[in-house]
Amino acid sequence: MEVEKLGIPTAPIVTIAFEQLAKTNAASRGMPGERICFTPHPMTNKTDAQMYQVLLGKDPVTGKPFMPEVIDAITKPLTAAETRTGEVRPSTGPATYSDTPDRLQRFYADNNMTDFQPIILPTEEKVEWMLKGTSHKPDEIVGKMSAAHGAFPEWSYTVRQVAINAVMAGAQPEFLPAILALASTGQTAIFSSTSSFARIALVNGPYRDKVKMNYGIGALGPFNDANATIGRAWTILSKNLGAAGMPGQTYMGTTGTNFNYNNMCCAETEDKLPAGWQPFHVQHGFKPEDSTVSIFTGWSLTNVCYFGVPYHELINSWLTHYFSTNNGSVTLVLDPTVAADVKEHGFDSQEAFREYLIKNSKTPAWLYWQHRDKELAQAKQGVEPFASYLKMGPDADIPVSRFVPRRWPGAPPNSPLPTTIEIVVMGGETNTYWLGGDFRHTITTSIDKWV
Amino acid sequence: MKINRRKLLSLMGISPAVLAGVPTFADPAKKPAARGSDGEGKIEVLNPKGLPPAIQLVPMAPRVANLDGKTVYLVSDGFAGADRFLHQIAIWFQKNMPSVHTIYRLKAGGLAGDDPKLWSEIKANGAAMIMAYGH
Repeated sequence: MEVEKLGIPTAPIVTIAFEQLAKTNAASRGMPGERICFTPHPMTNKTDAQMYQVLLGKDPVTGKPFMPEVIDAITKPLTAAETRTGEVRPSTGPATYSDTPDRLQRFYADNNMTDFQPIILPTEEKVEWMLKGTSHKPDEIVGKMSAAHGAFPEWSYTVRQVAINAVMAGAQPEFLPAILALASTGQTAIFSSTSSFARIALVNGPYRDKVKMNYGIGALGPFNDANATIGRAWTILSKNLGAAGMPGQTYMGTTGTNFNYNNMCCAETEDKLPAGWQPFHVQHGFKPEDSTVSIFTGWSLTNVCYFGVPYHELINSWLTHYFSTNNGSVTLVLDPTVAADVKEHGFDSQEAFREYLIKNSKTPAWLYWQHRDKELAQAKQGVEPFASYLKMGPDADIPVSRFVPRRWPGAPPNSPLPTTIEIVVMGGETNTYWLGGDFRHTITTSIDKWV
Repeated sequence: MKINRRKLLSLMGISPAVLAGVPTFADPAKKPAARGSDGEGKIEVLNPKGLPPAIQLVPMAPRVANLDGKTVYLVSDGFAGADRFLHQIAIWFQKNMPSVHTIYRLKAGGLAGDDPKLWSEIKANGAAMIMAYGH
């Protein structure tokens, strides 16, 4: 579209799986008639010869011969509608709806305004009650949210609109500051991707106890009002305030993830941290007396309990062989008993443990040599250390960690390096279990400012 | 599956009238669906939706009358296979419209990223662009 704006006619080509997304996105960006041409899906795994056959075939959406349609897209004169200018202000419907409670429950679900579990219907009375949970004015703008920043338009929303969604999720007014804090980040709980993203919402500070969050037995399970509804509210508001979570349009996760129901909302077991270890929010620049919520993004978690070796060694070996969607950062959730064991083996801080893991974890050879064509060529020419790595064979573990911090592509050269191994302590000490997964920390933000 | 564009735009909170280029304020959901029990009294509830941004309609670029002797940029957004697919398009042009000169480029910034440097190059040297993205 940017190229069209420069006066260059464009023929975008999209696979048919993204038809709704492409058309909706074009319309929401002001070019509803964009001449999109469609191919079958998927294309990635086709041979060159098969791809050429697609060119000789038909657009599966329009039924027109494909390449002539592409040529038409850049040569056929524009219609009057395609040259229109002006502003369109989309409607999201009336301010209120009136019907019986049963019908309204059905209506909200049918219009994808819920997580398809029953909601508390947001009456004026309920919303006014919810707004007692914050000192902020109802009309204050809280933030802007998109299903994927840069790819979809950003919607904005007020304190009152967040409160409406908080009511729907079944939250109590005292949970509203945490929900507002999540909303204020602009980060959606339901990110638009084919890869079925999940989130974690981790609460730290005195607020955990003020609203009686669970950070003991079953902290990640369905056993606590605050954990359940704060996390649920984030999902519901992401749909209604950020236009996220519309399958085929702003959500493309091929399998989806159950984590999206409440985003693993939980709190850290700060009172059981080993001596010298810091609460998560303190590691990220806040004071212990601050209350915050931290967001992590990723896909999956592994649940581990094994008694053969000390836990720091076990976690190190797991890191070497763990493989998932995100291959360069990880979050560890340690039961306090596991954290205590790690501490007893000499790791006086999370930072010390992190450095040990980065120094000692390795990369399986099959994984190491992927995307290292240059190093492989050097290895074959005898260049060290690659030559020695190659001699170790295809089943070896190469002594290079995948978790050495690197800047994200496009990041300023002097920007801080990301933390690639996050460590959270949480659990009820009933056994020495720990979780590890492909999550990375994205932001920690204040809850206090929304009280 | 046949896509109902009116329905999908309504779900986005966008007036289907946008397709016709008529900037009106549509009302995509005036009444709740008539499903469920009718045995209770009516209540009034609040719309939970946020505030979508206004849409500035963008006129499309004037089309070129024909491509004879023109340069067409073939641009990949970096998804796997897009480069090979665009190479096949270049071969198609060689076979079917040999007077068309094609140039392949990989856009910087991934799917949603902007690449003003490339756009300037295309503006200076190209008559049209074909972009391939998806999976």
